[in-house]
Amino acid sequence: MESELVRMCIEAATESAAAVEKWRRQRRTLERMPSHLAEALLRHLLRRRLLFPSLLEVFKYSVEEIDLRGESCVDAEWMAYLGAFRYLRSMILADCHRLNNSALWSITGMTNLKEVDLNRCSKITDAGIRHLLSVPALERLCISQTSVTAHGVAVLASLTNLLMLDLGGLPVTDSALNSLQVESCVYMLSLSLSLCRCHVSFEQSGAVNLVLFLQLSLSFYGLISLPGTNYFSLSMVSFISNCFCFFSLNLAWTNVILSGATIANVSEAFQYVETSRIHFMDLSNSSLQSFSLLRSMNALNHLNLSDTLLDDNSVEHITYIGANLRYLNLSNTKISSEGVRALAGHVSNLETILLSGTPIDDKAVSYISMMPALKVINLSNTNVKGLMHQADNAPDEVSSFAALQNLSHLERLQLEDIHIKETALCPLTNLGTLTYLSLKSVSLTDASLYNVSSAPKLIYLGVRDAVLTYAGLNTFVPPPTLGVLDLQGCWLLTKDDIARFCHKHPQIEVRHELVVPLDKRNIHFSSPARLNMKHKQAKLSMSPAKSDELFVDNQSLDDTRNYSRDIMKNQHNQAGSRSLHESITLHVIKKTPDIHT
Amino acid sequence: MKEDMVKLISAEGFEFVIDKKAAMVSQTIRNMLTSPGGFAETEHGEVTFPEISTTILEKICQYFYWSLQYASGKETEFHIEPELTLELMMAANYLHT
Repeated sequence: MESELVRMCIEAATESAAAVEKWRRQRRTLERMPSHLAEALLRHLLRRRLLFPSLLEVFKYSVEEIDLRGESCVDAEWMAYLGAFRYLRSMILADCHRLNNSALWSITGMTNLKEVDLNRCSKITDAGIRHLLSVPALERLCISQTSVTAHGVAVLASLTNLLMLDLGGLPVTDSALNSLQVESCVYMLSLSLSLCRCHVSFEQSGAVNLVLFLQLSLSFYGLISLPGTNYFSLSMVSFISNCFCFFSLNLAWTNVILSGATIANVSEAFQYVETSRIHFMDLSNSSLQSFSLLRSMNALNHLNLSDTLLDDNSVEHITYIGANLRYLNLSNTKISSEGVRALAGHVSNLETILLSGTPIDDKAVSYISMMPALKVINLSNTNVKGLMHQADNAPDEVSSFAALQNLSHLERLQLEDIHIKETALCPLTNLGTLTYLSLKSVSLTDASLYNVSSAPKLIYLGVRDAVLTYAGLNTFVPPPTLGVLDLQGCWLLTKDDIARFCHKHPQIEVRHELVVPLDKRNIHFSSPARLNMKHKQAKLSMSPAKSDELFVDNQSLDDTRNYSRDIMKNQHNQAGSRSLHESITLHVIKKTPDIHT
Repeated sequence: MKEDMVKLISAEGFEFVIDKKAAMVSQTIRNMLTSPGGFAETEHGEVTFPEISTTILEKICQYFYWSLQYASGKETEFHIEPELTLELMMAANYLHT
């Protein structure tokens, strides 16, 4: 931090060109000036447009870092003076558009120079790069979006101290990058290729030997080998025909995220990766065609293959490494019940299996039940119906969910958007460890609520899009542990219905379109004593104009069921859009005096 | 010399006797004068600056008083002659003022 008087001195020194003339001859003072003061003075001169090439000379023994980025005046003459800066460590010349190859000649032989930034100096070509080769200490070099070609990149191999190299936007070839392999060298490399706009960067801490390969083609893939690294991270973002690719590798290759990556040649991409050490692998949404690479990943415990081309034939590769797997995400793949059968018996430690969006049917449920450690199952949006024929010729259907009773650790079950048969739900009540159950189907009725009500440890129950009535809700005896009842999309329920339920079970948070969340309400009440009560009313109320029509009691239940769903929904929406305040007052008078008291 | 005064001595041996309060504007001098044992400066109330010329030390002393005035609300300009800027800057850097 600059002291006040230092700041005032710099201001005074850079006040005008005349002021500069008063001090620029004080050579001995300038020579022994601490570098941070000299650099501050230089920055101010630059900002005040008082810096010109010959003035640079006064700083040649004091300045260690110079940042001239974006200065269009910087040319060969400037560089000639900068070349004489004896202790210069860092030279930032990014966006200095007048800079050309011959101007770079001046920096040859600068023995202390460790950092050169020439990003976007478009006149710099391979000839300019050759001048850099005589800067032996160079550690950081940025030449992105210059006119350097693969040849220029290749010759950089002689810079043996290079730690960081930014090659963004350069047409780099495999062989050029191969020649960059330097013993005992750590690269931070970023490449942004104009062709497919890929960006790669990796950082590394700790002295390790790093050999870097990066092969780039139109469909992009990355290939990196890191013998004996302790920490490594790589992230890659590429846009290939509007496809967003994200590619990152973390923590000494134990965690690998290739989500969305377009991988052309898998075996090459992983040639130098010690696959047996990876325990977190995310290949979701990647273009991977063959999954054989999984076979060697013995340590894997988290595997995400969602949205990939995985099918039953590829499941075999997972079975080889199933013993350590705890998390397996196969959502939106082509795996069928046969594939699940192949898995069962090989994944004795699997705790989470996500199969939503796959073509599996009820047979898969029985295979899943053979995975003893399962805690979380997602079968949403599949062909599972809950009922199946026990034998091929048996006329009676039995609930396929009964098999889930074998799973003594099952905590979470998601059965959304499947054509579930209500009677199939009965076995779910016997799942003593189940805490989270999410159902979402238009074929669910009051009976399903009754069927699941005796699951003893349920904390979350979702019965969404169901044809639930007040009668069903009223007779529903929630498990004592229940905290959330999600009834979204249950279009037959009115605000009154939900209100009554809430009143009866104040400990349960009910989620429904007609329930306004507490924090979103904007109602002011005079007395705090009435606040709680009023809140409840607000939560329950609906427009009185519609409430008569929509009110569903036991008697009118059958009639109401004949209403077209669309009409009902419309009415609900109208009701919801009414002034809340108005509806509260009227509601209290007309509908639920019991709450009011 | 009074208790609340200090003597600042330039490279050439010129002595400036100023209020202790003014000298304390400099963090470096404050540390010298207030540090519990050790510095001879603490006992005698004298500080020698072999690196600071008389001209610059005089300017520094002016700045100390100006700074106190400025802090008390009297906003005047502190003029620095361009030829003094470099030396003064380095002295100010050393004195943390």
